[in-house]
Amino acid sequence: MKFRSITVALTITLIPFIIGVALFLKKGDQELPRKTRFMTDTGENNKGAVYKGIKIDWAFCPSWEYQPLFFRSEEYFVFVFHYTNSNNEDVYLMPSYSFASSGNRRYSANEEIAMYIEDGIENQLKIQDQTPMNFKISPNSVKHYLVAFEKPPAITAFTVDVDIFRDVTLRLYYKKEGQIWVHDKNEFVNNYNGRG
Amino acid sequence: MLKRIIKNFGPEWGAAVMGTAALCITMQLSSEVSRPFSPLLYVGLGFFLLTTVIFILFLIPWTLRFFMYPEEIRKDLKNPVRGNFFPTIPISFILAGTGMNKLGPMLFGPWLSYHLSIIFFFLGAAGIFTFGYILTRIQFLHREIHLEHANFSWFIPPVSHLIIPVLGACSMDVYWAQTSLAPVIFMISMIALGVGFFNFLFVGAAVWHRYIYHTIPQGRLAPTVMVGIAPTAIVVVFLIKFTEAIEASHGSLFGINFVSVFPLIKIIASIFWGFSFWWLILAVILLTHYVKIKDHPLEFGWWAYTFPLEAFVVATGLLAKSVAYQLLYPVLITLNVLAVIVWVTVVFGTVKWLERGAFFSAQH
Repeated sequence: MKFRSITVALTITLIPFIIGVALFLKKGDQELPRKTRFMTDTGENNKGAVYKGIKIDWAFCPSWEYQPLFFRSEEYFVFVFHYTNSNNEDVYLMPSYSFASSGNRRYSANEEIAMYIEDGIENQLKIQDQTPMNFKISPNSVKHYLVAFEKPPAITAFTVDVDIFRDVTLRLYYKKEGQIWVHDKNEFVNNYNGRG
Repeated sequence: MLKRIIKNFGPEWGAAVMGTAALCITMQLSSEVSRPFSPLLYVGLGFFLLTTVIFILFLIPWTLRFFMYPEEIRKDLKNPVRGNFFPTIPISFILAGTGMNKLGPMLFGPWLSYHLSIIFFFLGAAGIFTFGYILTRIQFLHREIHLEHANFSWFIPPVSHLIIPVLGACSMDVYWAQTSLAPVIFMISMIALGVGFFNFLFVGAAVWHRYIYHTIPQGRLAPTVMVGIAPTAIVVVFLIKFTEAIEASHGSLFGINFVSVFPLIKIIASIFWGFSFWWLILAVILLTHYVKIKDHPLEFGWWAYTFPLEAFVVATGLLAKSVAYQLLYPVLITLNVLAVIVWVTVVFGTVKWLERGAFFSAQH
Protein backbone atom coordinates (compact mmCIF):
# COMPACT_ATOMS: atom_id res chain seq x y z
CA MET A 1 0.00 0.00 0.00
CA LYS A 2 1.42 3.39 -0.98
CA PHE A 3 2.37 5.88 1.72
CA ARG A 4 -0.10 8.41 0.27
CA SER A 5 -2.92 5.85 0.48
CA ILE A 6 -2.05 5.03 4.09
CA THR A 7 -2.20 8.76 4.94
CA VAL A 8 -5.60 9.13 3.23
CA ALA A 9 -7.04 6.06 4.96
CA LEU A 10 -5.67 7.12 8.34
CA THR A 11 -7.14 10.60 7.93
CA ILE A 12 -10.58 9.24 7.03
CA THR A 13 -10.65 6.78 9.90
CA LEU A 14 -9.35 9.23 12.50
CA ILE A 15 -11.66 12.13 11.56
CA PRO A 16 -14.73 10.94 13.58
CA PHE A 17 -12.62 10.22 16.64
CA ILE A 18 -10.74 13.54 16.52
CA ILE A 19 -14.02 15.45 16.06
CA GLY A 20 -15.58 13.41 18.85
CA VAL A 21 -12.81 14.03 21.36
CA ALA A 22 -12.63 17.74 20.47
CA LEU A 23 -16.38 18.19 20.91
CA PHE A 24 -16.45 16.20 24.11
CA LEU A 25 -13.67 18.28 25.64
CA LYS A 26 -15.28 21.52 24.46
CA LYS A 27 -18.67 20.57 25.94
CA GLY A 28 -17.05 19.36 29.14
CA ASP A 29 -15.29 22.67 29.66
CA GLN A 30 -18.47 24.70 29.33
CA GLU A 31 -19.91 26.07 32.55
CA LEU A 32 -23.67 25.53 32.84
CA PRO A 33 -25.68 28.79 32.64
CA ARG A 34 -26.83 30.13 36.00
CA LYS A 35 -30.52 29.46 35.31
CA THR A 36 -29.79 25.85 34.40
CA ARG A 37 -30.47 24.72 37.92
CA PHE A 38 -33.06 22.47 39.48
CA MET A 39 -35.52 24.63 41.42
CA THR A 40 -37.53 22.06 43.29
CA ASP A 41 -37.37 18.45 44.34
CA THR A 42 -40.52 16.92 45.78
CA GLY A 43 -38.36 14.48 47.72
CA GLU A 44 -37.16 17.33 49.91
CA ASN A 45 -40.59 18.31 51.24
CA ASN A 46 -42.33 14.97 50.81
CA LYS A 47 -44.67 16.23 48.06
CA GLY A 48 -44.34 13.28 45.73
CA ALA A 49 -46.93 10.59 45.04
CA VAL A 50 -47.25 6.98 46.15
CA TYR A 51 -49.11 4.20 44.32
CA LYS A 52 -48.91 0.45 44.83
CA GLY A 53 -45.81 0.77 46.97
CA ILE A 54 -43.92 2.88 44.43
CA LYS A 55 -42.97 6.33 45.65
CA ILE A 56 -42.53 8.84 42.88
CA ASP A 57 -40.57 12.04 43.46
CA TRP A 58 -39.19 14.46 40.93
CA ALA A 59 -36.80 17.34 40.60
CA PHE A 60 -37.77 20.09 38.18
CA CYS A 61 -35.76 22.63 36.21
CA PRO A 62 -37.97 25.08 34.26
CA SER A 63 -35.24 26.52 32.04
CA TRP A 64 -32.49 24.09 31.21
CA GLU A 65 -30.56 25.72 28.41
CA TYR A 66 -29.07 23.59 25.67
CA GLN A 67 -26.82 25.08 23.00
CA PRO A 68 -26.61 23.12 19.72
CA LEU A 69 -23.31 23.51 17.87
CA PHE A 70 -24.60 25.51 14.91
CA PHE A 71 -27.78 27.03 16.29
CA ARG A 72 -29.09 29.31 19.01
CA SER A 73 -29.65 27.86 22.45
CA GLU A 74 -33.12 26.79 23.57
CA GLU A 75 -34.66 26.22 26.95
CA TYR A 76 -36.27 22.96 28.05
CA PHE A 77 -38.41 21.81 30.91
CA VAL A 78 -36.38 19.08 32.59
CA PHE A 79 -37.58 16.59 35.16
CA VAL A 80 -35.65 13.91 36.97
CA PHE A 81 -38.00 11.31 38.38
CA HIS A 82 -36.94 9.20 41.35
CA TYR A 83 -38.75 5.90 41.78
CA THR A 84 -38.49 4.17 45.16
CA ASN A 85 -39.79 0.65 45.58
CA SER A 86 -41.16 0.02 49.06
CA ASN A 87 -42.66 -3.38 48.15
CA ASN A 88 -41.10 -6.62 49.32
CA GLU A 89 -40.46 -7.82 45.79
CA ASP A 90 -38.83 -6.48 42.61
CA VAL A 91 -40.94 -4.30 40.36
CA TYR A 92 -40.45 -3.62 36.66
CA LEU A 93 -41.33 -0.17 35.43
CA MET A 94 -41.75 1.00 31.87
CA PRO A 95 -42.45 4.68 32.23
CA SER A 96 -43.36 7.11 29.45
CA TYR A 97 -44.03 10.81 29.72
CA SER A 98 -46.08 13.37 27.85
CA PHE A 99 -46.50 17.08 28.07
CA ALA A 100 -49.67 19.11 27.45
CA SER A 101 -50.46 22.80 27.61
CA SER A 102 -53.36 24.95 26.49
CA GLY A 103 -53.16 26.05 22.89
CA ASN A 104 -50.37 23.63 22.17
CA ARG A 105 -50.47 20.06 21.04
CA ARG A 106 -49.62 17.27 23.37
CA TYR A 107 -46.20 15.74 22.87
CA SER A 108 -43.88 13.26 24.46
CA ALA A 109 -40.49 13.66 26.09
CA ASN A 110 -37.52 14.36 23.85
CA GLU A 111 -35.12 11.50 24.47
CA GLU A 112 -32.39 13.02 22.29
CA ILE A 113 -32.16 16.22 24.30
CA ALA A 114 -32.29 14.18 27.52
CA MET A 115 -29.35 12.16 26.26
CA TYR A 116 -27.27 15.23 25.42
CA ILE A 117 -27.77 16.93 28.79
CA GLU A 118 -27.46 13.77 30.86
CA ASP A 119 -23.93 14.39 32.14
CA GLY A 120 -24.68 17.94 33.31
CA ILE A 121 -27.72 16.79 35.25
CA GLU A 122 -25.95 13.83 36.79
CA ASN A 123 -23.16 16.13 37.99
CA GLN A 124 -25.57 18.60 39.49
CA LEU A 125 -27.88 16.16 41.25
CA LYS A 126 -25.17 13.60 42.08
CA ILE A 127 -27.30 10.78 40.69
CA GLN A 128 -26.97 8.31 37.87
CA ASP A 129 -29.59 8.39 35.18
CA GLN A 130 -30.99 4.93 34.36
CA THR A 131 -33.36 5.35 31.49
CA PRO A 132 -33.85 2.15 29.53
CA MET A 133 -37.41 1.52 28.41
CA ASN A 134 -38.06 -0.70 31.38
CA PHE A 135 -36.06 -1.37 34.45
CA LYS A 136 -36.10 -3.46 37.57
CA ILE A 137 -36.23 -1.81 40.97
CA SER A 138 -35.29 -3.99 43.89
CA PRO A 139 -37.05 -3.56 47.26
CA ASN A 140 -36.10 -0.35 49.08
CA SER A 141 -33.94 0.93 46.26
CA VAL A 142 -34.32 4.02 44.10
CA LYS A 143 -33.82 4.60 40.38
CA HIS A 144 -33.71 7.84 38.43
CA TYR A 145 -35.19 8.73 35.06
CA LEU A 146 -34.35 11.88 33.17
CA VAL A 147 -37.01 13.60 31.05
CA ALA A 148 -36.76 16.71 28.83
CA PHE A 149 -39.64 18.52 27.14
CA GLU A 150 -39.46 21.21 24.53
CA LYS A 151 -40.69 24.47 26.05
CA PRO A 152 -43.51 26.17 24.16
CA PRO A 153 -43.39 29.98 24.24
CA ALA A 154 -45.85 32.07 26.24
CA ILE A 155 -47.64 29.45 28.29
CA THR A 156 -48.83 29.93 31.85
CA ALA A 157 -49.72 26.37 32.79
CA PHE A 158 -48.93 22.84 31.73
CA THR A 159 -49.42 19.24 32.78
CA VAL A 160 -47.11 16.25 32.58
CA ASP A 161 -48.54 12.74 32.36
CA VAL A 162 -46.36 10.04 33.89
CA ASP A 163 -47.45 6.66 32.52
CA ILE A 164 -46.08 3.96 34.77
CA PHE A 165 -49.01 1.86 35.85
CA ARG A 166 -51.46 -0.09 33.72
CA ASP A 167 -54.56 1.37 35.34
CA VAL A 168 -53.69 4.96 36.25
CA THR A 169 -51.60 7.86 35.01
CA LEU A 170 -49.95 10.30 37.37
CA ARG A 171 -50.71 13.84 36.19
CA LEU A 172 -48.58 16.73 37.46
CA TYR A 173 -49.94 20.28 37.25
CA TYR A 174 -47.66 23.30 36.97
CA LYS A 175 -48.62 26.97 36.70
CA LYS A 176 -46.67 30.18 36.36
CA GLU A 177 -46.84 32.68 39.21
CA GLY A 178 -45.01 35.81 38.16
CA GLN A 179 -41.81 34.49 36.64
CA ILE A 180 -41.75 31.31 38.70
CA TRP A 181 -43.14 27.90 37.80
CA VAL A 182 -45.02 26.45 40.73
CA HIS A 183 -46.05 22.85 41.25
CA ASP A 184 -49.79 23.20 41.71
CA LYS A 185 -51.03 19.65 42.40
CA ASN A 186 -50.90 15.99 41.30
CA GLU A 187 -53.64 13.53 40.63
CA PHE A 188 -54.02 9.94 39.51
CA VAL A 189 -56.15 9.74 36.36
CA ASN A 190 -57.83 6.46 35.43
CA ASN A 191 -56.67 5.04 32.12
CA TYR A 192 -59.18 3.97 29.53
CA ASN A 193 -58.49 0.45 28.34
CA GLY A 194 -60.50 0.19 25.15
CA ARG A 195 -60.95 -2.72 22.78
CA GLY A 196 -59.16 -1.09 19.82
CA MET B 1 -11.13 13.55 -15.19
CA LEU B 2 -14.42 14.50 -13.54
CA LYS B 3 -16.35 13.09 -16.49
CA ARG B 4 -14.53 9.76 -16.19
CA ILE B 5 -15.28 9.63 -12.48
CA ILE B 6 -18.97 10.30 -13.14
CA LYS B 7 -19.08 7.72 -15.93
CA ASN B 8 -17.58 5.01 -13.75
CA PHE B 9 -19.23 6.01 -10.50
CA GLY B 10 -21.00 2.73 -9.80
CA PRO B 11 -24.21 2.41 -7.79
CA GLU B 12 -22.36 0.49 -5.09
CA TRP B 13 -20.75 3.61 -3.59
CA GLY B 14 -23.85 4.15 -1.50
CA ALA B 15 -22.76 1.10 0.51
CA ALA B 16 -19.84 3.15 1.85
CA VAL B 17 -22.27 5.84 3.05
CA MET B 18 -24.43 3.17 4.67
CA GLY B 19 -21.47 1.54 6.38
CA THR B 20 -20.34 4.87 7.82
CA ALA B 21 -23.78 6.27 8.67
CA ALA B 22 -24.87 3.39 10.88
CA LEU B 23 -21.80 3.86 13.08
CA CYS B 24 -23.16 7.16 14.36
CA ILE B 25 -26.15 5.27 15.78
CA THR B 26 -24.06 2.41 17.21
CA MET B 27 -21.89 5.00 18.97
CA GLN B 28 -24.91 6.87 20.30
CA LEU B 29 -26.41 3.66 21.71
CA SER B 30 -23.08 2.58 23.22
CA SER B 31 -22.73 5.99 24.89
CA GLU B 32 -25.89 5.25 26.86
CA VAL B 33 -24.54 2.09 28.49
CA SER B 34 -22.77 3.87 31.34
CA ARG B 35 -20.94 7.06 32.20
CA PRO B 36 -17.44 6.09 30.97
CA PHE B 37 -18.87 5.53 27.49
CA SER B 38 -20.61 8.92 27.20
CA PRO B 39 -17.81 10.44 25.01
CA LEU B 40 -18.95 7.96 22.33
CA LEU B 41 -21.95 10.21 21.75
CA TYR B 42 -19.55 12.82 20.38
CA VAL B 43 -17.65 10.23 18.37
CA GLY B 44 -21.06 9.35 16.92
CA LEU B 45 -21.46 12.99 16.00
CA GLY B 46 -18.06 12.80 14.30
CA PHE B 47 -19.29 9.83 12.24
CA PHE B 48 -22.48 11.73 11.43
CA LEU B 49 -20.49 14.70 10.10
CA LEU B 50 -18.20 12.40 8.10
CA THR B 51 -21.26 10.63 6.68
CA THR B 52 -22.81 13.94 5.68
CA VAL B 53 -19.66 14.94 3.79
CA ILE B 54 -19.23 11.66 1.92
CA PHE B 55 -22.97 11.42 1.23
CA ILE B 56 -22.95 14.83 -0.46
CA LEU B 57 -19.72 13.99 -2.30
CA PHE B 58 -21.18 10.71 -3.61
CA LEU B 59 -24.67 12.02 -4.32
CA ILE B 60 -23.38 14.53 -6.88
CA PRO B 61 -21.70 12.08 -9.32
CA TRP B 62 -24.39 9.44 -8.61
CA THR B 63 -27.11 11.89 -9.69
CA LEU B 64 -25.19 13.43 -12.60
CA ARG B 65 -24.55 9.95 -14.04
CA PHE B 66 -28.30 9.50 -14.66
CA PHE B 67 -28.32 12.56 -16.93
CA MET B 68 -24.85 12.35 -18.47
CA TYR B 69 -24.49 8.59 -19.00
CA PRO B 70 -27.95 6.99 -19.10
CA GLU B 71 -26.59 4.08 -21.17
CA GLU B 72 -24.16 3.24 -18.33
CA ILE B 73 -27.07 3.35 -15.89
CA ARG B 74 -29.09 0.96 -18.06
CA LYS B 75 -26.10 -1.39 -18.29
CA ASP B 76 -25.64 -1.36 -14.51
CA LEU B 77 -29.35 -1.84 -13.82
CA LYS B 78 -29.28 -5.04 -15.87
CA ASN B 79 -26.19 -6.38 -14.12
CA PRO B 80 -27.36 -9.12 -11.70
CA VAL B 81 -24.89 -7.96 -9.04
CA ARG B 82 -24.25 -4.25 -9.54
CA GLY B 83 -27.88 -3.41 -10.27
CA ASN B 84 -28.88 -4.40 -6.78
CA PHE B 85 -26.78 -1.61 -5.31
CA PHE B 86 -28.81 1.26 -6.83
CA PRO B 87 -31.05 1.54 -3.77
CA THR B 88 -28.01 2.12 -1.53
CA ILE B 89 -28.23 5.88 -2.09
CA PRO B 90 -31.98 6.06 -1.22
CA ILE B 91 -31.18 3.87 1.82
CA SER B 92 -28.49 6.41 2.69
CA PHE B 93 -31.19 9.09 2.70
CA ILE B 94 -33.08 7.08 5.31
CA LEU B 95 -29.92 6.52 7.35
CA ALA B 96 -28.96 10.19 7.10
CA GLY B 97 -32.50 11.02 8.22
CA THR B 98 -32.17 8.64 11.17
CA GLY B 99 -28.81 10.19 12.09
CA MET B 100 -30.40 13.63 11.75
CA ASN B 101 -33.25 12.53 14.02
CA LYS B 102 -30.92 11.16 16.71
CA LEU B 103 -27.88 13.46 16.52
CA GLY B 104 -29.07 16.39 14.42
CA PRO B 105 -30.53 18.24 17.45
CA MET B 106 -26.95 18.51 18.80
CA LEU B 107 -26.04 20.48 15.69
CA PHE B 108 -29.15 22.37 14.65
CA GLY B 109 -31.63 22.01 17.51
CA PRO B 110 -34.76 19.81 17.34
CA TRP B 111 -36.97 21.84 14.99
CA LEU B 112 -34.64 21.97 11.98
CA SER B 113 -33.35 18.44 12.56
CA TYR B 114 -36.79 16.84 12.66
CA HIS B 115 -37.88 18.73 9.54
CA LEU B 116 -34.75 17.72 7.60
CA SER B 117 -35.20 14.19 8.86
CA ILE B 118 -38.73 13.95 7.51
CA ILE B 119 -37.64 15.33 4.12
CA PHE B 120 -35.01 12.57 3.99
CA PHE B 121 -37.73 10.07 4.91
CA PHE B 122 -39.85 10.96 1.88
CA LEU B 123 -36.86 11.18 -0.51
CA GLY B 124 -35.48 7.86 0.71
CA ALA B 125 -38.85 6.11 0.64
CA ALA B 126 -39.56 7.36 -2.90
CA GLY B 127 -36.15 6.13 -4.10
CA ILE B 128 -36.42 2.73 -2.42
CA PHE B 129 -39.90 2.05 -3.80
CA THR B 130 -38.88 3.24 -7.28
CA PHE B 131 -35.73 1.13 -7.49
CA GLY B 132 -37.57 -1.77 -5.87
CA TYR B 133 -40.06 -1.81 -8.74
CA ILE B 134 -37.48 -1.15 -11.48
CA LEU B 135 -35.09 -3.87 -10.32
CA THR B 136 -37.78 -6.45 -9.62
CA ARG B 137 -39.21 -5.82 -13.10
CA ILE B 138 -35.76 -6.26 -14.66
CA GLN B 139 -35.18 -9.42 -12.65
CA PHE B 140 -38.53 -10.91 -13.69
CA LEU B 141 -38.20 -10.02 -17.39
CA HIS B 142 -34.45 -10.64 -17.77
CA ARG B 143 -33.68 -13.74 -19.84
CA GLU B 144 -30.05 -14.02 -18.85
CA ILE B 145 -30.38 -14.48 -15.08
CA HIS B 146 -29.42 -17.97 -13.99
CA LEU B 147 -29.09 -19.85 -10.75
CA GLU B 148 -25.38 -19.00 -10.49
CA HIS B 149 -26.20 -15.29 -10.37
CA ALA B 150 -28.14 -15.60 -7.11
CA ASN B 151 -26.39 -13.99 -4.16
CA PHE B 152 -27.46 -12.18 -1.01
CA SER B 153 -27.05 -8.74 -2.56
CA TRP B 154 -30.40 -9.62 -4.14
CA PHE B 155 -31.84 -8.73 -0.77
CA ILE B 156 -31.00 -5.07 -1.25
CA PRO B 157 -33.71 -3.82 -3.66
CA PRO B 158 -36.80 -5.45 -2.14
CA VAL B 159 -35.69 -5.95 1.44
CA SER B 160 -34.33 -2.40 1.75
CA HIS B 161 -37.97 -1.38 2.19
CA LEU B 162 -37.58 -2.59 5.78
CA ILE B 163 -35.39 0.41 6.60
CA ILE B 164 -38.21 2.87 5.79
CA PRO B 165 -40.32 2.09 8.90
CA VAL B 166 -37.24 2.57 11.11
CA LEU B 167 -37.11 6.27 10.30
CA GLY B 168 -40.92 6.30 10.22
CA ALA B 169 -41.06 5.05 13.81
CA CYS B 170 -38.28 7.46 14.89
CA SER B 171 -40.25 10.33 13.38
CA MET B 172 -43.45 9.29 15.11
CA ASP B 173 -41.57 8.92 18.36
CA VAL B 174 -41.51 12.58 19.34
CA TYR B 175 -41.99 15.39 16.95
CA TRP B 176 -44.45 14.17 14.37
CA ALA B 177 -46.58 12.08 16.74
CA GLN B 178 -50.15 13.36 16.78
CA THR B 179 -49.66 15.65 13.79
CA SER B 180 -51.58 15.26 10.54
CA LEU B 181 -48.42 13.80 9.01
CA ALA B 182 -48.37 10.89 11.46
CA PRO B 183 -50.96 8.71 9.63
CA VAL B 184 -49.10 9.23 6.34
CA ILE B 185 -45.78 8.20 7.91
CA PHE B 186 -47.49 5.26 9.59
CA MET B 187 -49.10 3.93 6.39
CA ILE B 188 -45.94 4.33 4.28
CA SER B 189 -44.00 2.56 7.03
CA MET B 190 -46.48 -0.32 7.27
CA ILE B 191 -46.59 -0.81 3.49
CA ALA B 192 -42.78 -0.81 3.36
CA LEU B 193 -42.62 -3.26 6.25
CA GLY B 194 -44.94 -5.67 4.41
CA VAL B 195 -43.00 -5.37 1.15
CA GLY B 196 -39.65 -5.81 2.87
CA PHE B 197 -40.61 -8.66 5.14
CA PHE B 198 -42.31 -10.86 2.54
CA ASN B 199 -39.60 -10.21 -0.04
CA PHE B 200 -37.05 -11.22 2.60
CA LEU B 201 -38.77 -14.61 2.75
CA PHE B 202 -39.17 -15.00 -1.03
CA VAL B 203 -35.77 -13.71 -2.15
CA GLY B 204 -34.03 -15.40 0.76
CA ALA B 205 -35.51 -18.72 -0.35
CA ALA B 206 -34.32 -18.17 -3.94
CA VAL B 207 -30.73 -17.41 -2.87
CA TRP B 208 -30.76 -20.22 -0.29
CA HIS B 209 -31.74 -22.55 -3.17
CA ARG B 210 -28.57 -21.57 -5.05
CA TYR B 211 -26.37 -22.08 -2.00
CA ILE B 212 -27.71 -25.62 -1.56
CA TYR B 213 -28.23 -26.85 -5.12
CA HIS B 214 -25.42 -25.00 -6.88
CA THR B 215 -21.90 -23.89 -6.01
CA ILE B 216 -21.54 -21.01 -3.57
CA PRO B 217 -20.60 -17.66 -5.17
CA GLN B 218 -16.99 -16.90 -6.06
CA GLY B 219 -14.83 -15.11 -3.51
CA ARG B 220 -15.45 -11.58 -4.77
CA LEU B 221 -19.09 -12.04 -3.76
CA ALA B 222 -18.24 -13.61 -0.41
CA PRO B 223 -19.10 -10.46 1.61
CA THR B 224 -22.66 -10.49 0.28
CA VAL B 225 -23.50 -13.30 2.70
CA MET B 226 -23.29 -10.68 5.47
CA VAL B 227 -26.30 -8.91 3.97
CA GLY B 228 -28.40 -11.74 5.41
CA ILE B 229 -27.89 -10.37 8.92
CA ALA B 230 -29.50 -7.06 8.11
CA PRO B 231 -33.21 -7.78 7.44
CA THR B 232 -34.07 -9.34 10.79
CA ALA B 233 -31.79 -6.91 12.64
CA ILE B 234 -33.62 -4.01 10.99
CA VAL B 235 -36.97 -5.51 11.98
CA VAL B 236 -35.74 -5.58 15.60
CA VAL B 237 -34.77 -1.91 15.33
CA PHE B 238 -38.17 -1.09 13.89
CA LEU B 239 -40.07 -3.04 16.56
CA ILE B 240 -38.33 -1.30 19.44
CA LYS B 241 -38.62 2.14 17.86
CA PHE B 242 -42.25 1.38 17.11
CA THR B 243 -42.81 0.59 20.79
CA GLU B 244 -41.39 3.99 21.65
CA ALA B 245 -43.64 5.61 19.05
CA ILE B 246 -46.64 3.88 20.61
CA GLU B 247 -45.59 5.15 24.02
CA ALA B 248 -45.33 8.65 22.57
CA SER B 249 -48.95 8.26 21.50
CA HIS B 250 -50.06 7.07 24.95
CA GLY B 251 -50.39 3.42 24.04
CA SER B 252 -52.57 3.68 20.99
CA LEU B 253 -52.02 4.70 17.41
CA PHE B 254 -54.94 5.55 15.12
CA GLY B 255 -57.42 3.83 17.40
CA ILE B 256 -55.40 0.64 17.69
CA ASN B 257 -54.53 -0.15 21.30
CA PHE B 258 -51.00 -1.52 21.31
CA VAL B 259 -50.21 -1.59 25.02
CA SER B 260 -51.34 -5.19 25.40
CA VAL B 261 -48.97 -6.37 22.65
CA PHE B 262 -45.82 -4.81 24.15
CA PRO B 263 -44.67 -8.12 25.68
CA LEU B 264 -45.32 -9.92 22.37
CA ILE B 265 -43.32 -7.28 20.48
CA LYS B 266 -40.39 -7.82 22.83
CA ILE B 267 -40.53 -11.59 22.36
CA ILE B 268 -40.71 -11.27 18.56
CA ALA B 269 -37.84 -8.77 18.61
CA SER B 270 -35.74 -11.22 20.64
CA ILE B 271 -36.50 -14.05 18.19
CA PHE B 272 -35.52 -11.91 15.19
CA TRP B 273 -32.35 -10.78 16.97
CA GLY B 274 -31.54 -14.44 17.53
CA PHE B 275 -31.82 -15.14 13.81
CA SER B 276 -29.42 -12.30 12.99
CA PHE B 277 -26.99 -13.61 15.59
CA TRP B 278 -27.17 -17.08 14.07
CA TRP B 279 -26.55 -15.61 10.63
CA LEU B 280 -23.53 -13.68 11.92
CA ILE B 281 -21.93 -16.95 12.99
CA LEU B 282 -22.88 -18.50 9.64
CA ALA B 283 -21.22 -15.58 7.83
CA VAL B 284 -18.05 -16.11 9.89
CA ILE B 285 -18.07 -19.82 9.00
CA LEU B 286 -18.39 -19.04 5.29
CA LEU B 287 -15.76 -16.30 5.49
CA THR B 288 -13.38 -18.80 7.10
CA HIS B 289 -14.05 -21.15 4.18
CA TYR B 290 -13.24 -18.46 1.59
CA VAL B 291 -10.06 -17.45 3.43
CA LYS B 292 -9.02 -21.08 3.74
CA ILE B 293 -9.35 -21.69 0.00
CA LYS B 294 -7.58 -18.35 -0.63
CA ASP B 295 -10.52 -16.93 -2.55
CA HIS B 296 -11.27 -13.66 -0.79
CA PRO B 297 -9.90 -10.87 -2.99
CA LEU B 298 -9.87 -7.22 -2.03
CA GLU B 299 -12.98 -5.69 -3.61
CA PHE B 300 -15.25 -2.75 -3.05
CA GLY B 301 -17.81 -5.37 -2.03
CA TRP B 302 -16.09 -5.56 1.37
CA TRP B 303 -18.41 -2.73 2.36
CA ALA B 304 -21.05 -5.45 2.65
CA TYR B 305 -19.29 -6.41 5.88
CA THR B 306 -20.03 -3.05 7.49
CA PHE B 307 -23.68 -2.05 7.40
CA PRO B 308 -25.26 -5.45 8.22
CA LEU B 309 -22.96 -5.84 11.23
CA GLU B 310 -23.73 -2.28 12.36
CA ALA B 311 -27.47 -2.88 11.92
CA PHE B 312 -27.04 -5.85 14.23
CA VAL B 313 -25.19 -3.66 16.75
CA VAL B 314 -28.06 -1.14 16.67
CA ALA B 315 -30.56 -3.99 17.12
CA THR B 316 -28.57 -5.21 20.12
CA GLY B 317 -28.46 -1.73 21.66
CA LEU B 318 -32.17 -1.18 21.25
CA LEU B 319 -33.15 -4.65 22.41
CA ALA B 320 -31.01 -4.10 25.50
CA LYS B 321 -33.29 -1.21 26.39
CA SER B 322 -36.24 -3.51 26.76
CA VAL B 323 -34.93 -7.00 27.60
CA ALA B 324 -31.91 -8.54 29.33
CA TYR B 325 -29.78 -5.41 29.41
CA GLN B 326 -27.28 -6.99 31.84
CA LEU B 327 -26.48 -9.55 29.14
CA LEU B 328 -26.86 -7.38 26.06
CA TYR B 329 -24.96 -4.25 27.11
CA PRO B 330 -21.57 -6.03 27.18
CA VAL B 331 -22.48 -7.65 23.84
CA LEU B 332 -23.31 -4.18 22.48
CA ILE B 333 -19.95 -2.72 23.50
CA THR B 334 -18.03 -5.72 22.13
CA LEU B 335 -19.91 -5.63 18.83
CA ASN B 336 -19.44 -1.88 18.55
CA VAL B 337 -15.68 -2.29 18.86
CA LEU B 338 -15.82 -5.06 16.26
CA ALA B 339 -17.88 -2.84 13.92
CA VAL B 340 -15.26 -0.08 14.19
CA ILE B 341 -12.43 -2.53 13.47
CA VAL B 342 -14.30 -3.84 10.42
CA TRP B 343 -15.02 -0.29 9.22
CA VAL B 344 -11.37 0.79 9.59
CA THR B 345 -10.22 -2.35 7.76
CA VAL B 346 -12.67 -1.75 4.93
CA VAL B 347 -11.68 1.93 4.60
CA PHE B 348 -8.02 0.92 4.30
CA GLY B 349 -9.01 -1.85 1.87
CA THR B 350 -11.03 0.57 -0.25
CA VAL B 351 -8.20 3.10 -0.45
CA LYS B 352 -5.83 0.29 -1.47
CA TRP B 353 -8.39 -0.89 -4.02
CA LEU B 354 -8.59 2.65 -5.40
CA GLU B 355 -4.84 2.52 -6.11
CA ARG B 356 -5.82 0.35 -9.09
CA GLY B 357 -7.56 3.43 -10.52
CA ALA B 358 -11.07 2.23 -9.87
CA PHE B 359 -12.40 5.78 -10.00
CA PHE B 360 -11.39 6.04 -13.64
CA SER B 361 -12.29 2.65 -15.04
CA ALA B 362 -15.10 0.26 -14.24
CA GLN B 363 -13.33 -2.38 -12.14
CA HIS B 364 -16.17 -2.93 -9.74
